[in-house]
Amino acid sequence: MDAIRIPAPGELDALEDDQFRHVVRAFVHAHYPAHLRNPPKRLHWAENQEWYHILAREGWLCPGWPKEHGGLGLSPAKQIILTEEYERHGVARCNDHGIVMLGPLVIQYGTAAQRQEFLPKILTGEHVWCQGYSEPNAGSDLAALRTEAVLDGDHYVVNGQKIWTTLAMDANWIFLLVRTDKHAKKQEGISFLLVDMTTPGITVRPIINLELHDEFCEVFFDNVRVPKANLVGQLNKGWDMAKALLGFERIFLGSPRQSGYALSRLKLLAERMGVADDPAFADTYARLRLDFEDLKALFGTYVDKLKRGETLGPDVSMLKVLQTELFQRITDTMLEIAGENAGLLEPMEGNRDLNLGGLYIQARPATIYGGSNEIQRNILSKNVLNLPG
Amino acid sequence: MSAATADDRAESIRMIRDSAAAVAPPGADLGRIRALRFTDPGFDRAVLVQMGEMGWLGLRLPEAQGGAALGLGEACALAEELGAALVPEPLVAAMLSAAVLAAAGAKLDDVVAGRHYLPLAWQDRADTLDIAAGRDAPRCFVPMAAGADGYLVPVREAGRLALYRATGEARIERTQDGGNLGSFVPVLGERLAADIALDALLDEAALLSAAYLLGGMERAFAMTLDYLRTRSQFGRIIGTFQALQHRAADLKMHLAMTRASVESAAAALDAGATGDARRAAVSRAKARAAEAGLLVTRQCIQLHGGIGYTDQYDVGLYLRKAMVVANQYGSATLHRRRFMATAPEGDE
Repeated sequence: MDAIRIPAPGELDALEDDQFRHVVRAFVHAHYPAHLRNPPKRLHWAENQEWYHILAREGWLCPGWPKEHGGLGLSPAKQIILTEEYERHGVARCNDHGIVMLGPLVIQYGTAAQRQEFLPKILTGEHVWCQGYSEPNAGSDLAALRTEAVLDGDHYVVNGQKIWTTLAMDANWIFLLVRTDKHAKKQEGISFLLVDMTTPGITVRPIINLELHDEFCEVFFDNVRVPKANLVGQLNKGWDMAKALLGFERIFLGSPRQSGYALSRLKLLAERMGVADDPAFADTYARLRLDFEDLKALFGTYVDKLKRGETLGPDVSMLKVLQTELFQRITDTMLEIAGENAGLLEPMEGNRDLNLGGLYIQARPATIYGGSNEIQRNILSKNVLNLPG
Repeated sequence: MSAATADDRAESIRMIRDSAAAVAPPGADLGRIRALRFTDPGFDRAVLVQMGEMGWLGLRLPEAQGGAALGLGEACALAEELGAALVPEPLVAAMLSAAVLAAAGAKLDDVVAGRHYLPLAWQDRADTLDIAAGRDAPRCFVPMAAGADGYLVPVREAGRLALYRATGEARIERTQDGGNLGSFVPVLGERLAADIALDALLDEAALLSAAYLLGGMERAFAMTLDYLRTRSQFGRIIGTFQALQHRAADLKMHLAMTRASVESAAAALDAGATGDARRAAVSRAKARAAEAGLLVTRQCIQLHGGIGYTDQYDVGLYLRKAMVVANQYGSATLHRRRFMATAPEGDE
């Protein structure tokens, strides 16, 4: 491992894919803090900023950004390799909304001044971003959002409420979809606004989820004054921009590694419970394993498309549905074979690899976030199968 | 595989798909298939000869043996196209015969040309992949035996598997798709080989049967989508109902998984997978195709409603075909079991 030379960030995009994979392995091996491997819950900024700053220092923070903006300029195929290797090593997710969402949006739609103002501060970790999209009455029907921004001189005045805002308590900036025209068709009256969370009038309230974790927040806006210059792109074009940004990253929702991890835990659990050789369990396990293998094959066909430089169509929704529902079936099976251990609050035998209750609960939102699986099926039937409205 | 070879390969697969139109013209009705149902021998000998002329029966054989030396990617694409058109001529069994004769170093031009149909009678029981090898043991479930011009019969001799040409009075049983299966007690004729390995060839047949199922599922699903787009009830096109849309989306996902499974297995074998790696890849694909083939075709009946339950409407033909092919060369259960016995541990 240590024998592999890690090239300068600017040289990574030129490596062969296989070579790149080895470099990523060597990189995480050399730099990732051991105590942060495979955290049982999503980490807060206080815990994961150590890794964020290491990535920043090494120039590895923004894999998808173009080099001239401080990114690695990696192809989609290489970004997938990077993610695979991070997941293989048990690398925790950063507070990455600035890296993954806001940065690319500002690069594509922002003014030169906005790029200069915001991109460097993501790269240093000075700005930690969160995403203000969903609202209590605009979940699956996101375009129904009502948080509004009204122009008052040089400022927009924002009123309303966001919800499911991931790690908002850690963030000092939030990007918002806000309503700027109440009379237009609902998708056509939405704009994209950047807001400093220290502005008076903002209240953040954590939500305790089923994991008993405060991953999500409600964010309230009460006459919050935002400089006009913080509007990104054209007025009332926010919906189109946000949608255009849902690029190849959708493939990550369908990455089979989550199921692969759960499957390996199921196997371990089956051995502990003494049912590994039970024919009924063996048949269930074989089905899950085959679903996993075929999902890997299907996922591979999409990676191949990206490698050929093709863009992904709406059919990529299939991966998300298949992956998340498989993940759930695996954790369902864990509970089924675990006897009374199924109800334990802490990992069985104090073994972090046997956190079956935790995995079961973590699997629940997978079919809800990122567009619920019902929404994904709507997309498939309308945009892939061309069934009538 | 380099990009250039991958492109050549895609082109070669596209060409073989196009060539399938010779026997399975796109958009043609299923009149020919209906006319052959429940007749003897259940297929058209002239079409089998035509398939020979197209080079399909020797598709996998080396050029020195009169073959086209193409890969399983091409062979699966062909089987899929013929499955979509429900072609009853026994492509998979005839390709297997050609491959067995080639492995035996025996004369094979009549079989490769489709003039003789000499199915391999390798089974002595249902739902197995074990080669039957008893000298006098009855052989069963020989596909389209009503059209056989004789048989190829493996026999265990001194610890080795020999291959004989054989004849026998076959008892013919009709199958749901309009074809037939035969069982007989072999009367051995010429010994064609003293020592022959059949496992890998049988695996190829299993994979081709998975591809054939995939083609049928795709076509039945396409028919069903057309129906959902045109049929009206309660004053609405039924394809606008979300319950039906979501079911269609589920079937689409079964199809996508099946295609990924079959095509990745073909790619693995073409890349040289042998032994357990080959067995695991083939079993994964056949387990998927067998289960999904039955599921998709019966859901297609349900989505059609009453019309789908009539013999006159074509979608039912696909259900009947899946009933026959799903368990040929091993059922889903058998292949799941074999997958678990041969697949390496996960890489997690």
